[in-house]
Amino acid sequence: MPRARSNRWSWLGAVLPPVFVFVVLTLAAEVWLRVRDVKPFIVPTPSRVFSAVREAPGDLLASTCKTAAAALIGFGASALAGVAVAIGLSSTRLIRNAFYPYTVFFQTVPVVAIAPMLVIWFEAGLQSVAICAFIVSVFPVIANTLAGLLSTDPALRDLFKLYGAGPLSRLWKLRLPWALPNIITGLRIAAGLSVIGAIVGEFVATELSGNAGLGVVIATSARYGRTDRVFAAILAASLLGLLMLCAVNLVGYLSLRRWHASEQ
Amino acid sequence: MRWEKTLMHIRLASILVMLCGLVGGARAADKVTIALNWVPEPEFGGIYQAQLDGTFAKNGLDVEIKPGGAGAPTWQRVASGQVEYAVASADEVVIARANGADVVAIFTIYQTCPQAIMTHASRGYKSLADVFNGGGTLALEIGLPYGKFLEKKYGLSKVKRIPYTGGIANFLADANFSQQCFVFSEPLAAKKSGGDPQTFLVADSGYNPYTGVIITRSEIAKAKPDQVSAMVKSLGDGWRAYQSDAKRANDAMGKLNKSMDAETFAAAAEAQKPLIQPPGPENLVLGTMTSERWHDLVGQLVDLGIIDKSKAPAPNECFIGTGGK
Repeated sequence: MPRARSNRWSWLGAVLPPVFVFVVLTLAAEVWLRVRDVKPFIVPTPSRVFSAVREAPGDLLASTCKTAAAALIGFGASALAGVAVAIGLSSTRLIRNAFYPYTVFFQTVPVVAIAPMLVIWFEAGLQSVAICAFIVSVFPVIANTLAGLLSTDPALRDLFKLYGAGPLSRLWKLRLPWALPNIITGLRIAAGLSVIGAIVGEFVATELSGNAGLGVVIATSARYGRTDRVFAAILAASLLGLLMLCAVNLVGYLSLRRWHASEQ
Repeated sequence: MRWEKTLMHIRLASILVMLCGLVGGARAADKVTIALNWVPEPEFGGIYQAQLDGTFAKNGLDVEIKPGGAGAPTWQRVASGQVEYAVASADEVVIARANGADVVAIFTIYQTCPQAIMTHASRGYKSLADVFNGGGTLALEIGLPYGKFLEKKYGLSKVKRIPYTGGIANFLADANFSQQCFVFSEPLAAKKSGGDPQTFLVADSGYNPYTGVIITRSEIAKAKPDQVSAMVKSLGDGWRAYQSDAKRANDAMGKLNKSMDAETFAAAAEAQKPLIQPPGPENLVLGTMTSERWHDLVGQLVDLGIIDKSKAPAPNECFIGTGGK
């Protein structure tokens, strides 16, 4: 059956184009850097970066796990707090007008400037790094969730009222499901940002014992002129962000596929 | 009449200027840049002094001083050809050479590395070993070679290590907090803010790289040896002048760096003097470096695993010359 076949191979259509782009760009960079004879301490060739990965894959994995722990805690906190704050803000216009401007603080605060103070308040360590990840990733969740909660279809709202649904059941059965696509969008943005926040946090607020997180690997390798290791760590960070994004997409797909146009 | 006399003076002066121009014009000044690795502070006093006194110009150099800040090390900028000269530290030179960058040191500002650990006098520590065994928190910049050295020598199981990000706020806020410092910089600021700083030089632990070294590319040293000698001579003269009277350069640097007041400039310039003055025999001149110390440093960086033994540079290729005679 032609339809069955197209389903079986459809994943190829999703995977092949980005892989193709990756291979082409990597090869182009390799050739260009070699032809121009760019010194490795300025920009390393992709082959050098890959051999830096192969040099100590276990260490890189351990570093990625350490950063991932902080990023995930920060991301989880952003998801919970972001949605909760958005529900609070959506309750009345007065509350929204009073508090919404202050949530922008999270988007504009330079985390590098605040991180040294986190060390004074919370001590250096996983908690401070996770707070950095939270600070930079919470705002997109608040903003997107709020937009979703405020855009409930008026006709459906009236229908719920007509049937005498209370505020809690309206929230749970109508407004939150309606906002779900927006929440997922907020979480997608937050996933990548939480990795960035964790790495910046590690520059400043980590404890330098045991395994080094990716931020520490980046800072140390840069100082030792090992740009290949810097890029290997950046590669690992990108993969971590991608993995988290995929997880969010999966949740989005599972929760939206049966009723929302974006996942059909 | 009076104005006629003035006119004659002006004529005489302009003739003199023309003559100077003719003499100077015999060799056009070499236009070069020195990139600093921090904002203008007394650690660069002699460089600004050489500029202000016209010492660079006298030696045929037209020098632009580019202040730096926190961020990328300067050796990459020299190696990639963005600037001709820069201030770095000796361990950076070794690391750069191990990574295939052709930079060499031509002059050192400090004979004794001014890096130190600042702790609270109230702790009653007697040595660096006490700092590492006394508990509390120790803030060192991530990836500092001397941090790794101290870690290896004293162990870090008893002290909580965190990244140093600048300033003295954490130090003042926490009586169990120790941090890295330039021995003539942060401790002065801490004292001024009511703290009780006590310092231990890293150099006393056995790790003492030349610090504030002026670097260039070997290629420049080979192609333009006269330019490099002129630079070394100017730096030597500049630093000698600054060591005897720092006021003029301090005033000039104070205009560029308003976050440090005149009093602190003067105090730091005074405090750093013994670290700059070469020890021992009279024939050791300002800025001089010895092969033995480069040899020790390369060995230490290999032992610490910061550079590969197979890529370790020969001590003699890390520096040239004998300082600013």
